[in-house]
Amino acid sequence: MTATQPAIELIDVGKHYGSVSVLTGVNLAIADGEFIALLGPSGCGKSTLLKLIAGLEELSGGEIYVGGQLANYLKPSDRDVAMVFQNYALYPHMTVRENIGFPLKMRGLAKEAIGEKVQAAAAFLQLGAQLDRFPDELSGGQRQRVALGRAIVREPLAFLMDEPLSNLDALLRVEMRTELVRLHKRVGRTTIYVTHDQVEAMTMANRIVLMHKGVIQQVGTPSEVYSRPANTFVATFVGSPPMNLFQGRVDSAGGCRKFVGAFELPLDGIAASEGTATLGIRPEQVQIVPTDTPQALGATVELVERVGADSFVVSQIADGVTINARVDGARQVREGDRVAVRLPAAELRLFDAAGRAVD
Amino acid sequence: MAVEAGTGRVAPAELRRSAVDHARARRASRRRNELLRHLALAVITFILVAPFYYVFLASLKNATEIFSYPPKLLPFPPFFGNYKKLLFDTGFLRWMFNTLFVAGSVTTLKIFLDSMAGYALAKIDMTGKKVVFLAMLILLMVPIGALVVPLWALMSSFGLIDTYAALILPPLANPLGAILMRQFILGLPKDLENAARLDGLSEFGIYWRIVLPLIKPGLVVLAVIIFTDQFMSFIWPLIATTSDELQVLTVGVAALRAHGGANYGLWSASAVMSLIPVGVFFFVLQRQFLARSLAGALKQ
Repeated sequence: MTATQPAIELIDVGKHYGSVSVLTGVNLAIADGEFIALLGPSGCGKSTLLKLIAGLEELSGGEIYVGGQLANYLKPSDRDVAMVFQNYALYPHMTVRENIGFPLKMRGLAKEAIGEKVQAAAAFLQLGAQLDRFPDELSGGQRQRVALGRAIVREPLAFLMDEPLSNLDALLRVEMRTELVRLHKRVGRTTIYVTHDQVEAMTMANRIVLMHKGVIQQVGTPSEVYSRPANTFVATFVGSPPMNLFQGRVDSAGGCRKFVGAFELPLDGIAASEGTATLGIRPEQVQIVPTDTPQALGATVELVERVGADSFVVSQIADGVTINARVDGARQVREGDRVAVRLPAAELRLFDAAGRAVD
Repeated sequence: MAVEAGTGRVAPAELRRSAVDHARARRASRRRNELLRHLALAVITFILVAPFYYVFLASLKNATEIFSYPPKLLPFPPFFGNYKKLLFDTGFLRWMFNTLFVAGSVTTLKIFLDSMAGYALAKIDMTGKKVVFLAMLILLMVPIGALVVPLWALMSSFGLIDTYAALILPPLANPLGAILMRQFILGLPKDLENAARLDGLSEFGIYWRIVLPLIKPGLVVLAVIIFTDQFMSFIWPLIATTSDELQVLTVGVAALRAHGGANYGLWSASAVMSLIPVGVFFFVLQRQFLARSLAGALKQ
């Protein structure tokens, strides 16, 4: 692998089971040392993609390169990748020491070398005192660390992690998330992390690959994916609450381009052609302003959700059309209040009839 | 019950006494129930054990004592003539060896064959897997009586009649074990296999190093079923062997009854001696019923 070569490259990768297509035309280049999160709802094909990279599923089409080498026909153990499974997948009849050392034993390493590497991995993951215990004698966090130990002891080119934190309780999840980020920083290996939790993806990854129905929707840094969603699916999947979306059309009548839907809004600086469109804006960009503010939309507050530092204010701006705004938690807004909302032109996102972002 | 004048409430001392009486009655009722339960268990145990004890007793009596009335419940002094005759004047030891050799061989071979077949049926993607499984299920419904003649013809055409092979090979084709093993192996999570595959294990390696240790309780159950089935097998060994050297216990003991006259003491001794290997087999295997729980392997 050369310095500029991606650690893992997917070219037009596809997977189908009979007539059911699970992945279509996946193209992705992952740089060495990068932390990539595959994010998407259940059934979007992210775990299948990970298994294809690991060699645990057979490709239906395309090419996979690992470390610059075509891996399509390589056995899973020859791909120089290690995987952490959704369900730990520890060998219950082996001790922690045997579990961590097992991949090395299978590679024919000398007993002494295995012992040293296992000790080093155990010390790194604070498992030194648990080496002679069996998995059913460990806590959830310790089991997770053993699963990580089994992966890092191999010193692979890349780590593949399949929702390793799912089903853990909230506290342990946050703790393990921090540990994983720390681990990535210390080990510096390429990591592909599958998750359906956007918080995990946003907080851990260098880049996010957002998937839906077996197709990559957008690849970008967490801030790119959040602030410049490529389509309406990304706009609604990323962010909690999701982006406000309004159906309508772009109209250029009278020489002024504007959005016409439940309300009318001038589209300054947005190069949109006429036709059906969807207008979007993130809740934190929506401003609740005094009712006499020019170019603001009149609204009635329907619901106020107080979540501590912030409050989410859901207001009705037209019959059956509501908008969600995130405001300071200290701000006094009550249900039934008559307010005005302002949508700053710079923060608007316009999507065409197919739901694609108009840049 | 004493009632306090004026308030109409029950006096505290009276309340205490009533509570103590109530607790005492409850304790007595519990003791009575426990006694009844133990009595019922004792009766059931007696019904189950009495025939064995009677046979054991008969094996330690001579021909006259067996029919003496009232029967002696403690065989004193014990008469070992029946055992002596069984061990030194009949082919009992040879029958025992043949039985243990055949049952042991069938059990060992079948454990491997059935677990491998079960692994293939449960975990390997192959064309016609469902058809094979269905055929195995159908085969379970065919009675042994319907198989005896074609099986004999088959063994005869291979020249295997009256050999150990004739006793060992046919039971290996029984599909029950493979079906049982398939069900056990289906319960193992796919991620364990995948982890093993990434660690560098071959398909056989996964079966041998990961699957087998995890289905140990299933293997023990299967071993017990096969061993006892073979130990008690009568029809096929009777038909498949003709020489005395290859007779198994069931056939030998039956022949003893047919040709040795009504020697109840000898028959009882043969029954007692026949029980020993099965007893030992159970005793050895009962510790193996426990396998490492899968609980630690997976997230709950």
